[in-house]
Amino acid sequence: MFDLVYVIEDDFITSKITELYLQQHGAFKRVQKYKNGQPALDALHRASDQPAKLPDLILLDLNMPVMDGWEFLDALSAEHLAKPVPVCVLTSSINPDDIKRANSYSAVQGYFIKPMDAHLVDEMVQLLA
Amino acid sequence: MSYLGEELRALQASDETVFDFIQESTLAGLWYWNLAGEEEKWATPKFWRTLGYEPDAQFNQAAAWRAAISPDEEVATAEYVAACIADHSYSFDQVVQATCHDGSKVWLHCWGLVLRNSLGQAYRLLGVLVDITRQRNEEISAQEVASHYGAILGNQSVYIIRTDAQGNYTYVNDFFYERFGLDSKIIGTSSLMSIIEEDRPKCLVTVGLCFTEPNVPHQVILRKPYHDHSVKSNHWEFKGILDGNGEVVGIQCVGYDVTLLVDNLERSKQLLALTNQQNARLQNFAYIISHNIRSHSANLTALVKFLQNATDETQAAMFLDMLKTSTDKLAETIINLNEIVTANSMGVQPKEMRGLRQEVSRTLEAMNVLIHESQLTVNLNIPEEVTVQVVPAYLDSILLNLLSNAIKYRSANVAPQLTLDSYRDGDYTVLTVADNGRGIDMARNQNKIFGMYKTFHDNEDARGLGLFIIKNQIEAMNGKIEVASEVGVGTTFKVYFSEIV
Repeated sequence: MFDLVYVIEDDFITSKITELYLQQHGAFKRVQKYKNGQPALDALHRASDQPAKLPDLILLDLNMPVMDGWEFLDALSAEHLAKPVPVCVLTSSINPDDIKRANSYSAVQGYFIKPMDAHLVDEMVQLLA
Repeated sequence: MSYLGEELRALQASDETVFDFIQESTLAGLWYWNLAGEEEKWATPKFWRTLGYEPDAQFNQAAAWRAAISPDEEVATAEYVAACIADHSYSFDQVVQATCHDGSKVWLHCWGLVLRNSLGQAYRLLGVLVDITRQRNEEISAQEVASHYGAILGNQSVYIIRTDAQGNYTYVNDFFYERFGLDSKIIGTSSLMSIIEEDRPKCLVTVGLCFTEPNVPHQVILRKPYHDHSVKSNHWEFKGILDGNGEVVGIQCVGYDVTLLVDNLERSKQLLALTNQQNARLQNFAYIISHNIRSHSANLTALVKFLQNATDETQAAMFLDMLKTSTDKLAETIINLNEIVTANSMGVQPKEMRGLRQEVSRTLEAMNVLIHESQLTVNLNIPEEVTVQVVPAYLDSILLNLLSNAIKYRSANVAPQLTLDSYRDGDYTVLTVADNGRGIDMARNQNKIFGMYKTFHDNEDARGLGLFIIKNQIEAMNGKIEVASEVGVGTTFKVYFSEIV
């Protein structure tokens, strides 16, 4: 069960669709949306010593203004969180360099290419089980 | 000890073996002519052997004399002899080329002595001969070698110079003089100083190698001013010149002009760099297109599915609304891509001369409402007379983007100001656009600032295309753009317009 999931995505519609798909799946309870890495990081930082308030999964887009996915991953590595938070990259980028780079982060558990749909959510749940 | 000398003289008179020993061992021959009366000629057997005759064999000596000396030589000899007879101070000393019995030639050096009687009249001529054929042939061959190498040294395509161990010219071939507009005054001057300053360390390193490894040639390419003040690249081969003790006493340098090669290489490198850059840009472009189109198409597919499964009117209306936003965004993306393709299709766009201040003023006028609303103060310091060579549509786009960015990203804390100025930097006219806006975190965004779909502020209408497009437009005009920025202080863009027509 994923009590709390962060969706970090700058496009409003994509973010909304992702939320809808997660909510249709029984495994997810609460979805928290962030427009880019910065507000998500701020939220993580505030909850860093309270395991109950930390998310159980982060879905992360790569190309975003202010703080992009890479900067977020770098910043996340430096955070001392009360429990490990797995990250799944969810992006339209099929650039092999991006895939390789994403997998070099220990927090990254999976790399998923959009479009988001019910099947992809199933896959994600299986992967993290 | 003089008795020995006297004894030898006496012995020589009495014992013919002494005389024979002296003349046989040292001379190629000896002759003795009767100058009085019939002009009779006698010669030693060694003389005839030198000319290839067997002295004991019966042969016509008169004919042999004639065959040995050419008529011209005979006349010259006769005149010489006559002069010696007439004038006591003359001594007989002559080099002649004689023809042997078998037709081969020998060079003979003759010394002659005119013998006079008690009345002072010349009556005999004594001649001694030394065979100098070998020396003479060596001399001739040395001359041939010298003229052969002289021709090589003076040839019309290779520079040949020699310097002493200090690098001062000791020899320079004609071609070098001619090409660099120099003359023999340079002999003794420093060869190093004739090379352009940046190449001198490279030259010294190569000279150093000639001292440490004098037996092998060392190669280097050096640049040097030509007589028309252009700079030529020359490929040189340096080699140490050793003296008898194996000490390096100079450097032998052979060079040829490689300016064309070097220029072509440089041009190829530039082309390759440009091609690589364009390839990288195209690949990046392909990824981004795929990214954007995929994002929209994925959203559309998902929204249609949600719409189909909507349980009530309100939900359906929400999905329909999102669907509309999504199609609008797709349309916008396609328009953006079209804009990028146009900016990138480096077609030959004619450049025209434009007054920079006038163009900036026009753009400011067009943005009048925005400027007024944002209460932006504009300081236009560009001098009236500054002109730039530009593709007019590109200049419009560049100014519009930079000026509207200054308004969009103005600071909320200070009265917004924009200062436009220009100056000359080498072949460029530089436009500076400085604002006191929000600034960009350069440490974080240095590499992204002119990238495609990169935005730096949480701004809804930022497309992340403006700076990408104007960078392409500026580069298409052979210019460049630089940025300096500090968060909370402001941003300064420098646009370099190439003035090379």
